Amino acid sequence: MSTKIDPILLSVYARTFKSITDEMSISMEQTTRSPILCEAKDYVTGLYDGDGNMLEQTENLPILAFSLAPVCKYIKDYFADDLHPGDVIFHNDVFSLGNQNNDVAVYKPIFHSGKLVAWTAVKGHQADIGGNVRGGYNPNAVEVWQEALRIPPVKVVEKGKLKKDVWNLIFANIRLDIVQHDMKAEMGACTVGERRLLELLDKYGLESYEAHKQALFDATRKMMEAEIAKIPNGKYSGEGYVYYDGRHEGSKFTIRVDIEVKDKSIKFDYSRTDAQTNGFVNGTFTSSASATILTLLQMVNPDIPHNEGMVSPIEIVIPEGTILNAAYPKATTFGNHLCPPNADAIQRALGPAMPDRVTAGWNNLLCSLTTGTDPEKNEAYVDIGFMGLKGGSGAMLGIDGYDHIGMIDASGGVLDQDYEMFEQQTPHRLLKHELLTDSAGAGEWRGGLGVETIFEIGSEDTQLVTFGDGDFEPAFGLFGGKDAGLNFIRLHYPDGQTVVPKNKDLITGVPKGTVYHQVASGGGGYGDPKKRDRKTLAEEIRNGVISKEAAMRDYGYSE
Amino acid sequence: MTLKIGIDVGGTFTDFAVTRDGAEPAIFKSLSTPSDPSIAVVNGLTDIAAAQNPPQTLEAFAATIDTIVHGTTVTTNATLTHTGAKCGLLTTEGIRDALEMRRGIREEQYNNRYANVKPLVPRYLRAGIKGRLDRNGDEVTPLDLAQVKQAIDLFKQDGVQAVSICFMNSFANPAHEQAAAKLVKQEMPGAYLSVSTDLLPSIRFYERISTTALNSYVGPKLNHYLDQLVGRLKGIGFHGLLLIMQSNGGVISPQLAREKAALTLLSGPAGGPGAGLFYVTPHGQDKCITTDMGGTSFEASVAVGSPMIKNDGEIARHKIALPMLDIHTIGAGGGSIGWLDEGGMLRMGPQSAGADPGPACYGKGGQLPATTDANVVLGYLDPNYFAGGKMKLDVAAARKAIETHIAKPMGLSVEDAAAGMYRVACNNMAQGVREVTIKRGFDPREFPFIPAGGAGPIHSCLICEELEIPLQIVPRESSVLCAFGMLMSELKHDFVRTFVAKLEAVDWKKLGAMIDEMSAEGARQLTEERIPEARRRHDIKFDCRYIKQYHEVSFLVPRELVAMGDVAAISRAFHAEHNRLYGYSLEAEGAPIEIINVRVQSIGFTDKPSYRGETFAGEDASGALKGRRSMYIPETKKFADVPVFDGHKMRFGNRIDGPAMVEQETTAIFVSAAYDCVVDALGSFAIYRKGREDLVKSCFAKEEVTA
Repeated sequence: MSTKIDPILLSVYARTFKSITDEMSISMEQTTRSPILCEAKDYVTGLYDGDGNMLEQTENLPILAFSLAPVCKYIKDYFADDLHPGDVIFHNDVFSLGNQNNDVAVYKPIFHSGKLVAWTAVKGHQADIGGNVRGGYNPNAVEVWQEALRIPPVKVVEKGKLKKDVWNLIFANIRLDIVQHDMKAEMGACTVGERRLLELLDKYGLESYEAHKQALFDATRKMMEAEIAKIPNGKYSGEGYVYYDGRHEGSKFTIRVDIEVKDKSIKFDYSRTDAQTNGFVNGTFTSSASATILTLLQMVNPDIPHNEGMVSPIEIVIPEGTILNAAYPKATTFGNHLCPPNADAIQRALGPAMPDRVTAGWNNLLCSLTTGTDPEKNEAYVDIGFMGLKGGSGAMLGIDGYDHIGMIDASGGVLDQDYEMFEQQTPHRLLKHELLTDSAGAGEWRGGLGVETIFEIGSEDTQLVTFGDGDFEPAFGLFGGKDAGLNFIRLHYPDGQTVVPKNKDLITGVPKGTVYHQVASGGGGYGDPKKRDRKTLAEEIRNGVISKEAAMRDYGYSE
Repeated sequence: MTLKIGIDVGGTFTDFAVTRDGAEPAIFKSLSTPSDPSIAVVNGLTDIAAAQNPPQTLEAFAATIDTIVHGTTVTTNATLTHTGAKCGLLTTEGIRDALEMRRGIREEQYNNRYANVKPLVPRYLRAGIKGRLDRNGDEVTPLDLAQVKQAIDLFKQDGVQAVSICFMNSFANPAHEQAAAKLVKQEMPGAYLSVSTDLLPSIRFYERISTTALNSYVGPKLNHYLDQLVGRLKGIGFHGLLLIMQSNGGVISPQLAREKAALTLLSGPAGGPGAGLFYVTPHGQDKCITTDMGGTSFEASVAVGSPMIKNDGEIARHKIALPMLDIHTIGAGGGSIGWLDEGGMLRMGPQSAGADPGPACYGKGGQLPATTDANVVLGYLDPNYFAGGKMKLDVAAARKAIETHIAKPMGLSVEDAAAGMYRVACNNMAQGVREVTIKRGFDPREFPFIPAGGAGPIHSCLICEELEIPLQIVPRESSVLCAFGMLMSELKHDFVRTFVAKLEAVDWKKLGAMIDEMSAEGARQLTEERIPEARRRHDIKFDCRYIKQYHEVSFLVPRELVAMGDVAAISRAFHAEHNRLYGYSLEAEGAPIEIINVRVQSIGFTDKPSYRGETFAGEDASGALKGRRSMYIPETKKFADVPVFDGHKMRFGNRIDGPAMVEQETTAIFVSAAYDCVVDALGSFAIYRKGREDLVKSCFAKEEVTA
């Protein structure tokens, strides 16, 4: 390329790309309605070049993030020369590189001087996507059609004109009106990004943009390669475990990763992983690859820009037909939640090679979704249960785990509800929501603490869907650190009966007055607990986050 | 002759703006004294007394001061450095960790070494008390006062200085909090007490408990400081009115500041935006972007008629939900250090060389290249006239730092590297301005740009170029803009109540009564502050949203509309504001709206310093020309010989063509090649895009202004 690279302008481009995706993210936060979007920020905004290469992303929930670029490339090939200014394309299909059915993306091609030069895209977790069960989590599904409406790339707006028939076909198959509004919010955010990028192109010209974006990829790739080069060359293997496929009690599956580090490149090979299940506990290629990338990103310099150059040194092999990459037409809704065991496998594999970069095990996700009718308002409610699901992170060399952070695939990007808003939006009454004593794995650096949540259910005939894990195997300790506690959800009915839902379950007819009790436990500890700083330990005993008994037992504490 | 002094205590300097009716304001600076900031206040007043004509003794001068308006960073610093009071917290049983859990956010998702913030109250001093209200404020379980007493005993035994009370759903019924407060007052009469419903009776538990805890955390420190300040001022014979700057851009009496110390958490920079509005008036404008570039940070805010307010602020990762000016801060200042990331790309900040050792050119041992070093190499700063010549700058040290850390590794000349640092720093600041304009639904091109802080006006042309802003106004007082702004501030008292209802089903009588109650409380406080009724106003705002949305939009509602229960007009106002902020409204669909909070701001109008209008002196600025110097022109990316003017000698109407440099003792103003500059009726330097004389008409048509 003949254009000269201006190293200063390069920094300007990088900073501006970031500001564009941030601005798209704020637009989403402020205009969406479903709490999973506006409160929990379960969405990603991104900017891609004309060929679908990632220029920048704002990844509130990283597990969705790394399927956007592959799908962008797919869409570009799919429509080929039939792309025009003013087109808007929807996509969720997991068999054309989508990560999860509920994660519905909007893509907008951007033209400058008559040429396709970039894309903006937004993907968010929609409150409903059709299928058999409201909200999308159907633990009984074995095929995709029992889970969701499939949306392969489809134009809902062409050359600026809404295709009313296509729009109505989609939303006639989705239960909640709110989804239409939230998809409009995704489209709005794409327009916000488009406007900003076009301003940038008007200012610096197409040639400069093309040359500098390539230079940006190169610079970023260099940074990522330098990080990988810090890992000793070699082959490393690890395992993570998945308990129960939603249909066969006692079933257990193993994720096996073989990692090969060679100078500046790293390869993750999942060929030895167990076969796909005959349930909905299956990953898609992009959900599993996102899990791999986000776990690796936590082990490298957090300042590396997020673009094509960051992912290009990483090779990921996941054969079709394994639990991490189910074959058509298998059910896959649980796929995003295979991230924690996948991350476990990677941490275990790389622990010996880079003990200063890995963490002990993180608390695995276990959560529930309750729906019913608020008797006082006579209105239906859906509660996503973010209140109870956030456990602790794994400790690492030199630093304790983070309390109440939640699953590794969000890493503190998903918030729990405000307690008073929770009581306004549901008929439930919150009785307890506190850090749980002794829930963290002991260690020279302890795991993050988990939380205990108790609320009284305020609606009759309440429906409860549970999904997750962590009730069979706790977050693991590392290098002498101890394991943490287990997750659970229990329902204490007013008649004295206690019901313990399975970790993927559908419970109906839960009566008003039932006490919902959940523990999202802590993260694993790192290093010998006997070496823990005694002053810190004494403070923790006084603060009641570690009991004196546990301190004596696990930490060798004496007064 | 009213004598008013604005005093802004900063990290390095304490700024003074001195105004007398009809006279040009005077600027003073004294070195800050962090261990007891009131010492610097008295030192500065001593200097000001000595500078009077004829010189006066401190005591004689102090007796003539009518008003002192004071901005303080005491509470800000206590929070940032984690040196606040030892606190205890009474909250509802089962949720005592809300303050520490912070809804489970980790701001840096990919950084496993990023630790949580230390809570403002340690867990063992957070007591969960039995007693519960439901979501409507009705009692489910009575308050257990025996448990309150137990907690108080622990607090006393542990030497707690400040107590906070925040119970679940108290926004709907303060009874439990009041009962607990009564017992605390009785048992711990010397303790500082914050009750959530006194401070912020609005929904959202985390925001309320965090705000309440912050108030207690900084309360004792602020009280101690005000004791020192008031004592010293009394000691030197000051018997005028002392007012304290609050985060919302208004002022309050010291007594109220003592009770609601959290109101001062953003006291320091809060004077700026209001001052900005004053300086744009000669150009027929009522809106502006005000920025302040200091040593480590760059602050930006927007005012339209009045400064923009937000209700969801944050300090040191703690939420504060009291209304505060919407001032966005980024880590970009004169001390920001340039560095290359692992990919070899140039970055500026957020690490800063601070004031000590400072940039390499300060010659105090700093080795790393900072923004100021680039400014020296580019010729923007005269090494012999920095701070009016009080400090010599070491050009060789600046060049060496840039060469070693930027130029050589990038394969650039020192000049090109410095130009790069300058551009990246300006781009960072431009992105900071976007945060408060584009992200809030404003088009920056429609706003005059006010660069404050000593280094601000060196960078403003390039920032404005980036944002396509055609007009900048650089006040003569730009280096002490906040102190000056404090003198323009009104007394302001904010009140909020939660009132959840669908707009079409509101009980307007009940809502009206609630508003009257808040207005009456505002009036009571203004009476105490001796503001007559004719100089008061009570503004009403609703926080509304479309049903099922999560975030509310706050907008002004005239009292008459509430009296009439005019749902249609109120809805229209909401749709319009939603459309402005987010680019769409659901007015056509007739989407239902709900109200969440109602707010009242009681304003007491203060006396403003009156300005002497400058007399028109004509276009010719040649009398102020003091020489020429080579400096970098961003438009051509080349160095050129540029005229340098003495800003102190430039008068109303004087005009110069860019590129040019205007120097004052505390400010350097760079007019780049795309801009020209003219002095306006307030003596400010109006810098406008070449050919856009229409923006500064008043500087050419003398008849209109001097009439």
